[in-house]
Amino acid sequence: MSSISNTKVPLFGPAKQSVEHKKNNEFGPLTSDEYLYQVHSRNGEPLRDPVLDAPPYYVVVITYLNYLILIILGHIHDYLGMTFQKEKHRELLEKDGLAPWFSKFESFYVRRLKLRIDDCFSRPTTGVPGRFITCIDRISHDLNSYYTHPGTTTMCLNLSSYNYLGFAQSEGKCTDNAIASVDKYGLTAGGPRAQAGTSDLHLETEKLVARFVGKEDAMVFSMGYSTNANFFNSILDSKCLVISDELNHTSIRTGVRLSGTAVKAFKHNDMEALEKLIKEQIVQGQPKTHRPWKKILICVEGLFSMEGTMCNLPKLIELKNKYKCYLFVDEAHSIGAIGPQGRGVCDYFGINPSEVDIMMGTFTKSFGAAGGYIAADKKVIDKLRCDLTIPNYGESVPAPILAQTSASLRIITGELNPGEGLERLQRIAFNSRYLRLALQRLGFIVYGIADSPVVPMLLYAPSKMPAFSRMMLQRKIAVVVVAYPATPLIESRVRFCVSAALTKEDIDYLLRHVNEVGEKLFLKVSTGKAGGSLDGKPPRWDIEEVIRRTPSDCKDDKYFLI
Amino acid sequence: MRQPPEVLPSSIPVPEAVLRSSSYVWYYCQRAAHAIPGMRYVVSYVRKSHQDDPYRTLFELFLIIYGIIYFFRKPRKQGEQAAPKLSEREVEALLDEWEPEPIAQQNIKLEWRAKSTPVLMGNSSAPTRVNLTRDEGRESYSDVLNCASTSFLQISSDPEFVKAAKDTIHQYGVGACGPAGFYGNQDVHSELEYNLARFFGTERAVLYGQDFCIAASVIPAFTKRGDVIVADDRVNVALQNALQLSRSTVYYYNHNDMEALEELLEQLQERELNEKLPSLPRKFIVTEGLFQNLGDIPDLPRLVELKRKYKYRLLVDETFSLGVLGANGRGIAEYYNMKRDASVDITIGSLAVALGSSGGFVLGDNVMSMHQRIGSHAYTFSAALPAFAVTTASRVLDHLEHDNSAVQKLRSLSQLMHQLFIDDSELSPYIEVTSSKESSILHFRLTDEYRSRVFHTTEESLFQELSAMHAKNLSEKYIEGCEREEKLLQRIVDMALKEHKVLLTRNTFVLKHETLPVTPSLKLCCSAKMTEDELRSACESVKSAVLACTSE
Ligand SMILES: Cc1ncc(COP(=O)(O)O)c(C=O)c1O
Repeated sequence: MSSISNTKVPLFGPAKQSVEHKKNNEFGPLTSDEYLYQVHSRNGEPLRDPVLDAPPYYVVVITYLNYLILIILGHIHDYLGMTFQKEKHRELLEKDGLAPWFSKFESFYVRRLKLRIDDCFSRPTTGVPGRFITCIDRISHDLNSYYTHPGTTTMCLNLSSYNYLGFAQSEGKCTDNAIASVDKYGLTAGGPRAQAGTSDLHLETEKLVARFVGKEDAMVFSMGYSTNANFFNSILDSKCLVISDELNHTSIRTGVRLSGTAVKAFKHNDMEALEKLIKEQIVQGQPKTHRPWKKILICVEGLFSMEGTMCNLPKLIELKNKYKCYLFVDEAHSIGAIGPQGRGVCDYFGINPSEVDIMMGTFTKSFGAAGGYIAADKKVIDKLRCDLTIPNYGESVPAPILAQTSASLRIITGELNPGEGLERLQRIAFNSRYLRLALQRLGFIVYGIADSPVVPMLLYAPSKMPAFSRMMLQRKIAVVVVAYPATPLIESRVRFCVSAALTKEDIDYLLRHVNEVGEKLFLKVSTGKAGGSLDGKPPRWDIEEVIRRTPSDCKDDKYFLI
Repeated sequence: MRQPPEVLPSSIPVPEAVLRSSSYVWYYCQRAAHAIPGMRYVVSYVRKSHQDDPYRTLFELFLIIYGIIYFFRKPRKQGEQAAPKLSEREVEALLDEWEPEPIAQQNIKLEWRAKSTPVLMGNSSAPTRVNLTRDEGRESYSDVLNCASTSFLQISSDPEFVKAAKDTIHQYGVGACGPAGFYGNQDVHSELEYNLARFFGTERAVLYGQDFCIAASVIPAFTKRGDVIVADDRVNVALQNALQLSRSTVYYYNHNDMEALEELLEQLQERELNEKLPSLPRKFIVTEGLFQNLGDIPDLPRLVELKRKYKYRLLVDETFSLGVLGANGRGIAEYYNMKRDASVDITIGSLAVALGSSGGFVLGDNVMSMHQRIGSHAYTFSAALPAFAVTTASRVLDHLEHDNSAVQKLRSLSQLMHQLFIDDSELSPYIEVTSSKESSILHFRLTDEYRSRVFHTTEESLFQELSAMHAKNLSEKYIEGCEREEKLLQRIVDMALKEHKVLLTRNTFVLKHETLPVTPSLKLCCSAKMTEDELRSACESVKSAVLACTSE
């Protein structure tokens, strides 16, 4: 961390390829109608209790040992470094009477653990993050303290971007729409929404979004994180209570903290714990004074991005109605990607969206754009327009983003290019199910529900993360590995983000390589109790058989535990 | 079986049965212990200590058991009483009885705001002109001079920049589809970060997706409980939010009053010396380059002097000053002919204001920037800025580097605009201009005298009323006098629009979020693409609207 050189990533011009090639590299053409799956609504049926597979005991022990060794080595490194290489650790020491930017203790994890595998993160890319992603090659120096770039690129199969419906494209209706909007509205929005930053395109997009998610009205913002981070302080104060799933995204937590509201967390997706907590809180009221809470807001995510699990919406609605609480659902990952019509968790469960008080989501993921929205009843949105900070102080959304969003929304609903939206929805549903079931059959531990396009595969030992990531990169596959603090300490994982842009053959390619790497890294440790097994024994299918049988099997619910 | 060993000394009068049974237990425990590897050492320790002092063994045993019980007991917070046990029926009754407030309820008195928000229709004849509607299309105006837009330099509206942005969309698509850490960082992002750092004279820059959330993400990334922040008492809401999230102890000094600041720093230093803290806290001075609500400029040389003397770091929010202040638009540091990397530790800037793109950035040294990429949530947990916004900003910077004519033009227009208002003695009984002549936004508000005569409020009374509402935690924060004042200002805006086709705007604010004193004010913005005549006539129009409305 000390010798950071200012090496710049070189700029790459557009790749020289025909438009046809470019299109195919961004969105693979469908190879067979077999590889489509139409999701069905659950008609209000809640989820079953999740079954979590656990690894054998020795994996847990090894993982802890792995951390222990890393931590001991790190401390030795620190000690020796601070004694003999003071110059290199200057930033940890007081300088000219100024405290260091961060303390030695706070930064230990980053300096001594994360830095070792930093080459697996922030890999620079260029071009469209579509079916393939163009990674810029880099050479790491001095234990990842800086990189140089030889000026070459590698095209990798993209399992890393949140490009669920494959709208990350630079050709097609969405792009045309985005480009046309630049001529009409310019590149910048010109100030806060309440001053001079509102255009008719904003209002039009808001109407589209509201109609799409099934609410009366909606508001759009230029960043998803900030939508959450600046939302709660407008409707809550310190006499309100937020009941929050323990795995909620940082943006929600930041927003709730900013509002000064009391927060209670419940165990991830544990509806019994939630009910108990609600009852207790209504009965007890505010701490010390025991006055009743002004409002209670339950905050959950539609699809949890690290787990691939979904909130149990039917149960939540039941609880919320029974105890007069309000419900906030963050659909950042589920909107567009989940449900028979891609309209998120309400669509998936067959629940009327009017049951959810506040629906939030982002355009970063399924729509290939950026920004976020909040949808609710008209009277709530009217109030929020006056009360939120962003429309009154912050920047507004620039036109190309709105244009991309509205075009992709209209493609999903079938208003534009009828049939295209449906194909995308059916492809992502098939791809997600195929990859999930195939991984389970190969013997990997995979979290999440059948239809989730986020497929987290457990690696456990921290040293397997860089190994997996680097080996996949060598095989020209871009994956994301995540570890503590985004996950529990021992549950390091790789997260495959499935996209409608991938073909079945792309997934076969992925499976063959994951199978091979998985063998080498001893990752096949599942017991089969969470799926993948036909006879109750740990599944360890042969790869060829998996590829032969899974495409048809994955359309059948009986192979999944849902 | 042979006689069990004697455990308790026979000198103590203990019933025989107890003695015997404890001896047996001891014996079997010992046998079992030998079966476990490594137990030998424990046993030999226990034996030794037991021989030295048998009561010590008992005592240690007691301690261990107590430890286990303590460990497994549910922790109860201090001062918290055990909840009274309620019967099932009582619980049901309480659950039934509870009635929450509605999640959000519109105050009808505020509805005029939505009605008066302009909706721009696009396809304007020139970058400075707009077509707009209001009140859901009931009013419509065409070819209005836009004096409310914050894209002051208007460089990005030139055809070559528009073309470059379109090319970028054709190469990168629109969204980056992932956070910077997960393949969202493209070559263009790195390029822009490099260019920003070079242009503004710092080691590094870090890009964010939106300007408003930056402060609330960067400050908490570097502060913790016990750290000290000294802030100007007129900082904007973004900074107020940041201070609230910082967990640090926050002190305020009177707006731009360097004597007050020095006095405060002196006091804090004394206090720190007396306290003998275990480690040195991080200390920051927080201010703005051009104040969002007032438009004035702080005394940077003095601030830097003070920060050096008292060992503070300086954070300046330059959202409105980058691209505006200084000969080449390099902000407040250039304005005072100082080097940025030697004077300001953290600079917050926006790409969405003068630079005419979207998003924001933070400038600073290498170590700070590296840590930010891990610790600053709005960076790590949010998707990277769309590529077209990035390349647009890059090109604007390139342009500024060898052509500062837009900045110079903007400056001369700003000065003209301020001159026209300040020199007008007819206006002075009604309004006062708070902004500096260099500011491309003219901020003006009603004079104290006028305000107290017509609305019976003062800046202090408004603040007191607001603070009282915050203290009481009212869900609805509404101050009648303030609302009436805002309505008067809106009438000025309406008249300028209807009669003179000039769009200016109230400085919108939300009482609920303001924790520092604010007063309603109006903003008149100029842009580099305006002609002097256009601006002159716009100023005359606004002045006549002010006079007409204030003398009603
Ligand atoms: C649940 C959730 N909410 C909000 C966000 C933030 O969205 P954005 O990347 O558009 O800022 C994310 C992104 O990772 C998310 O997962």
